[in-house]
Amino acid sequence: MGFLSRKSDQRKGAKAVKISAGRRFLMFFVNNFQQAIGSLGELSRTPMASLMTIAVLGLSLTLPTTLYVVVKNAQSISAEWDNAAEINVFLRKDLRPQEIQTFRERVRLMAEVERVEFIDKEAGLAEFRANSGFGSAIDYLQTNPLPDVLVVIPAADFQSVERARMLLTTLEQEREVSSASLDLKWLERLQALVRVIENSFAALGLLLCTAVVLIVGNTIRLAILNRRDEIMIMKLVGATDAYIQRPFLYTGFWYGVVGGIIAWLATTILVIWIDSSIVKFSSLYESDMSLQGLSLNDMLVVWLVAIGLGLFGSWIAVRRHVSAIEPR
Amino acid sequence: MIRFEQVSKTYPGGFQALNRVNFQVAAGELAFLTGHSGAGKSTLLRLVALMERPTLGRVLINGHDLNKINRRQIPYLRRDIGMIFQDHRLLMDKTVFDNVALPLYIEGYTQSEARKRVQAALDKVGLGGQERKYPIMLSGGEQQRVGIARAIVNKPPLLLADEPTGNLDPTLSLEIMNLFESFHQVGVSVLIATHDLALVARMRHRNLVLRNGAMIDDGLASGGYEPLDEGAY
Repeated sequence: MGFLSRKSDQRKGAKAVKISAGRRFLMFFVNNFQQAIGSLGELSRTPMASLMTIAVLGLSLTLPTTLYVVVKNAQSISAEWDNAAEINVFLRKDLRPQEIQTFRERVRLMAEVERVEFIDKEAGLAEFRANSGFGSAIDYLQTNPLPDVLVVIPAADFQSVERARMLLTTLEQEREVSSASLDLKWLERLQALVRVIENSFAALGLLLCTAVVLIVGNTIRLAILNRRDEIMIMKLVGATDAYIQRPFLYTGFWYGVVGGIIAWLATTILVIWIDSSIVKFSSLYESDMSLQGLSLNDMLVVWLVAIGLGLFGSWIAVRRHVSAIEPR
Repeated sequence: MIRFEQVSKTYPGGFQALNRVNFQVAAGELAFLTGHSGAGKSTLLRLVALMERPTLGRVLINGHDLNKINRRQIPYLRRDIGMIFQDHRLLMDKTVFDNVALPLYIEGYTQSEARKRVQAALDKVGLGGQERKYPIMLSGGEQQRVGIARAIVNKPPLLLADEPTGNLDPTLSLEIMNLFESFHQVGVSVLIATHDLALVARMRHRNLVLRNGAMIDDGLASGGYEPLDEGAY
């Protein structure tokens, strides 16, 4: 776009000023690349200041990321338990062995049932004696107080909370059954607890992200004001706002790129640290739990979020301040 | 090339810098703009480069009404106007080469593509071979010439100069003026604001005179040449 016509004799000794649209398009990317590298060089010229902003960005993201890792692990544990729904069916004590045998067979053949386990009262008592710590006290009992128990494991399609509950009611109505129980309360409580933790962590993460945007925005604002004279001169010789803004946007971009990597490293260190204590903790319970770290996908998301926040912060600063600087 | 129609400019606070100014500068013409300090010379140039908007009236550049040019179009207008300032306005942390190449970079040239034109511009102002230096290593006159090289590097059809010789001794001033004259000879329109009346008299070109914001002489009556007349101020 030119406002003034140029005389041909003014072009002597040099190429014409007009640049074709295709070339302009290509140059846009060449320019972008140059400015991207240029702003990276700018960062290396002020290493301390840049590093501090980048560290703030990275470490601010580390907390939500680590919390995310914890929540993710908690979810996978609760998901495991979710599928382990079992129904304990306590049989009436006055049944004959023949009747019990028939009932077992009948339940086993139900469509909703994956398999059944039968624990007769003697086996139940033996197990109770072994695990409860009341071993010798039980010997004083005259009769076995325990009923025979049928452990019913629902088929895959009937393991959800509602369906398992429907199966429970069906089983409870059987003549041979004295009572049946499906222990879901603790599962629901665990799920609710996980949700509370998730939500509070999400709120915390949102707060930290906002802080990151403001910090990056402020750093970029200072960078813009520092180069006020330069921006003025560039505007005088015909630079568009977009051209002037680009290096600052790239600065925000690089903050995000490096900040994201810092967030990975810090999260990994934190997870290893927490994991060592979890391994110790779970070994006391004779279990081998361990934390799942960041997956490749998670890392990519963290990186994109970091870059997004860096860009957004610088965009806010650039929008407000670059256009406000007018040549005097 | 430049036409002012009843242009007034009042700054916030009530100071009237220009009052109903009318004049016209033809394409390819070289004209001086003189007047006492505060007469409105800078304001007039700033209106042409759209660093200010007129309060009343219209400014036309090559037939384009500047009142109709919106904020987003201003950069493209400025690319067609070479501007030279008394304080040079150079980037002190960039080399002479990068300073001169700045308008070309903005238009999308790479460094290697800009080289030929930058060298041509620097040769023109007599600074060939100084590309690698920083402005701080140059004298005031040389810095001014870097500013001129930057203004002409993309061959704009219009040059505006605001006190280009303000800080220079008479010999250097004359050299700079001769430079402007050479641009005028290849068809560039040049408008130079200055208070160096001796120099203006010597150059024998049209002289527009401002006093207290009013144009008291558009230089046409005197046949494009305003003789040294201290009484006018």
